[in-house]
Amino acid sequence: MLRVKRNKGFLVEELGCWTVQRKLSNVNAWTVSAVIIMALLFLPNLTIVSGIFSPSNDNWAHMKEFVLGSFIKTSLILIGATGFLTIAIGLSLAWLIAQYQFPLRNFLKWALVLPLSIPPFIGAYTYHGIFNYTGVIQTTLRDGFGKDLNPAYFDIMNIPGAVFIYTLFLYPYVYSITRIFLSQQSASLIESARMLGKGPVNIFFQVVIPISRVAIIGGSSLVVLEVLNDYGVVKYYGIQTFTTGIFQSWFGLGDIETSIKLAASLMGFVIFILMAEKLLRGRRQYNYSTTKVRPLPLIRLKGWKAFMATGYGLLILSLGFLIPVVQLIDWTILTFGTIPTEEFLIYVKNSVTVAGISATVIIIFALIVGNFSRLVHGKAAKLLPKLTILGYSIPGAVIAVAVVTAFIGLDGFLAPLYRLLGVDHTLVLSVSLAMLISAYIIRFFAIGYNSIESGYDKIGTDFRDASRLLGVGLTKTFFRIDVPMLKGAIVSGFILVFIDVLKEIPLTLILRPFNFDTLSTKAFQYASDEKIMEASQASLVIVGISALAIVVFYKFLEKEPE
Amino acid sequence: MYISIQDLCFSYPDTNRAAVDHFSLTIGKGEVVSILGKSGSGKSTILRLLAGLEKPSKGSLCIQENVVFDDKVFLAPEKRGIGMVFQDYALFPHMTVQDNIKFGLSHLKKEEKKKRIQEVLELVELEDYGNRYPHQLSGGQQQRVAIARAIAPNPHLILLDEPFSNLDAELQVKIRKELRDILKKANITSIFVTHDENDAFALADWIIKLKDGRIDAMGRPCDLLGASRPSEIRQQEPELVGV
Ligand SMILES: Nc1ncnc2c1ncn2[C@@H]1O[C@H](COP(=O)(O)OP(=O)(O)O)[C@@H](O)[C@H]1O
Ligand SMILES: [Mg+2]
Repeated sequence: MLRVKRNKGFLVEELGCWTVQRKLSNVNAWTVSAVIIMALLFLPNLTIVSGIFSPSNDNWAHMKEFVLGSFIKTSLILIGATGFLTIAIGLSLAWLIAQYQFPLRNFLKWALVLPLSIPPFIGAYTYHGIFNYTGVIQTTLRDGFGKDLNPAYFDIMNIPGAVFIYTLFLYPYVYSITRIFLSQQSASLIESARMLGKGPVNIFFQVVIPISRVAIIGGSSLVVLEVLNDYGVVKYYGIQTFTTGIFQSWFGLGDIETSIKLAASLMGFVIFILMAEKLLRGRRQYNYSTTKVRPLPLIRLKGWKAFMATGYGLLILSLGFLIPVVQLIDWTILTFGTIPTEEFLIYVKNSVTVAGISATVIIIFALIVGNFSRLVHGKAAKLLPKLTILGYSIPGAVIAVAVVTAFIGLDGFLAPLYRLLGVDHTLVLSVSLAMLISAYIIRFFAIGYNSIESGYDKIGTDFRDASRLLGVGLTKTFFRIDVPMLKGAIVSGFILVFIDVLKEIPLTLILRPFNFDTLSTKAFQYASDEKIMEASQASLVIVGISALAIVVFYKFLEKEPE
Repeated sequence: MYISIQDLCFSYPDTNRAAVDHFSLTIGKGEVVSILGKSGSGKSTILRLLAGLEKPSKGSLCIQENVVFDDKVFLAPEKRGIGMVFQDYALFPHMTVQDNIKFGLSHLKKEEKKKRIQEVLELVELEDYGNRYPHQLSGGQQQRVAIARAIAPNPHLILLDEPFSNLDAELQVKIRKELRDILKKANITSIFVTHDENDAFALADWIIKLKDGRIDAMGRPCDLLGASRPSEIRQQEPELVGV
């Protein structure tokens, strides 16, 4: 054994091989926990893959022959039309805001993100309520103008109606990503085009669209993934797609195998989208460069042009946010008190509990995996977390199937233990809240991880290294240096996950324990039972919290460039 | 010798070029050694290897005959008793100057901590700045805090990575002199890396010239002045540009 005599300041320490082991075990503790977490996040999805190879039954044979084709066709129409319209609206708004000055521009800049706070299924039933026979439009026409038009004109419960809803409430993905991207582009790009004598229309098509391709594709693939994930809108509007098919074969036919096969097909679809995105995006990644570029000087619009710009922005904002919110407030006032307050508070409590637990666990997991990723050199350590992030592109219904299958398997595995403990059920975990929360964690891990990872990137490794060289070990450094410095990333990651869980529908419907209701399941159920007005109160709480978070975020985001 | 570095080798993962190539060096107690080299020559990498932030593929470091690393032993950075001043100082932004310095003193009693903080703050002439946060200090002051923080736990060796690169030219000349005084007063053994000959010649007891991770020349400033300056360095420069 070797001995090192330290200077007076340092403890005299015995050195030897055990110190090597200590160091290894220190890194290992982080590696082991990170690997376990990543496996937990990833493995349940493998049950879907295994489902592809399991023998098929009659239901599946029937589905494959008669409905699978129409699922694919409907999905293609929905994502194609929604993709196109969200790009048209999102990009045009982003360009207006990035390039021009007009009345209310500074307000619209962030307000145009607000439609994201309305989950599409809430938008869907709200617009149905506005357009239907007893809704405000038809009643006004009848009572005010004596016009009794054919109600079929106002029917939005069809594919075009769903596209309308998706577009209104999902375009902010394209808008915000493209706007941030454009605002980071150097002014000289646009200015040189202007100098070459190009007009605004030419610049838009020949310069703006090509340079923002990466951002447009990034934003619209989020839109497409949301559409494929959606269950609430299609169910409510009676449109048959993969997600409704998964539900039907599960609950209607009690046929989990067919659900798994449908889920696998949907996953195939998603993988196709992800590959198309990669291909279209090319080798370039988003480049939120921090180097200072001279921002685009705004061109002041005057007269009718300014009027049109403001009008366009306000129109989209009204359709995507103001009108539905006013309608929800109106209904809430009309029905206030019909839902007993105690009951309502239970839904609020349930929502906040599951969202809070999920967000907390996700942030802790993300901190561990993120720390692992920067501790360990090599490609594998960088690649593995990326794999877990895929969870976000997997539709909720697919994750639900995967998690149930895994939990039922787990219960089977633990059955002897249950008997030993004197529990007289065979299903314990798979009827508990643990299953729902696990599913949320798998689905939304990527949201929290992105936030934490960018936080780690921002602080770099020097502070950690400095701390270690001052004699403080890895784990202590994590708590005393990393966590305090990551505070902003932790808060923002937590909020993002929290509101996503709050709005979630398919996972919650499938996986919640018996008699467990959240704000979103309650809103969905009331709406499905044609109690649109009663659904508004719960919806309004969801929208209010989400909108608040978006406003807070706007402040965070706008501060960052300083 | 007080510090002995033998045959240090290292290349970064996924690269095929050695960033540090058979680097050996011995240093006497209290000496100031400068590693002088162009950007990319491997200076920072050597410091990171000595500090334990990267794991060498070969070589050893002994301090007072005790192994810090060789092919069997590898002490974690926090066990080495080596201090480091980072290029951009890495002062913890959420802690005051005092707390930054106190961070490395967890092994001392409360009273001793206070005393030691006072001592090092006096050494760097920042007695009145203990309660400020790093962002409330000028670049030069931040650097002195970083030095005070590294010195406070009494390390065997202190490493400084381009200590002057973040300071403006005027300040550089003043602080160069101060830094030597501080290091000598504390009788601390130190290695500092720089790409600026003037820093090296003004500050160091010994100068090591580094090229592509290898030692190119080594000597006392006065020796190198006669032998390799200006002719040798001038001749090397065109060759280095392409590297
Ligand atoms: N993290 C890293 N991964 C791969 N190569 C690196 C890394 N850091 C530095 N290098 C390479 O190692 C060599 C030495 O770098 P460095 O020690 O930082 O040089 P210096 O500090 O003298 O400027 C350079 O060629 C550099 O490109
Ligand atoms: Mg360097």
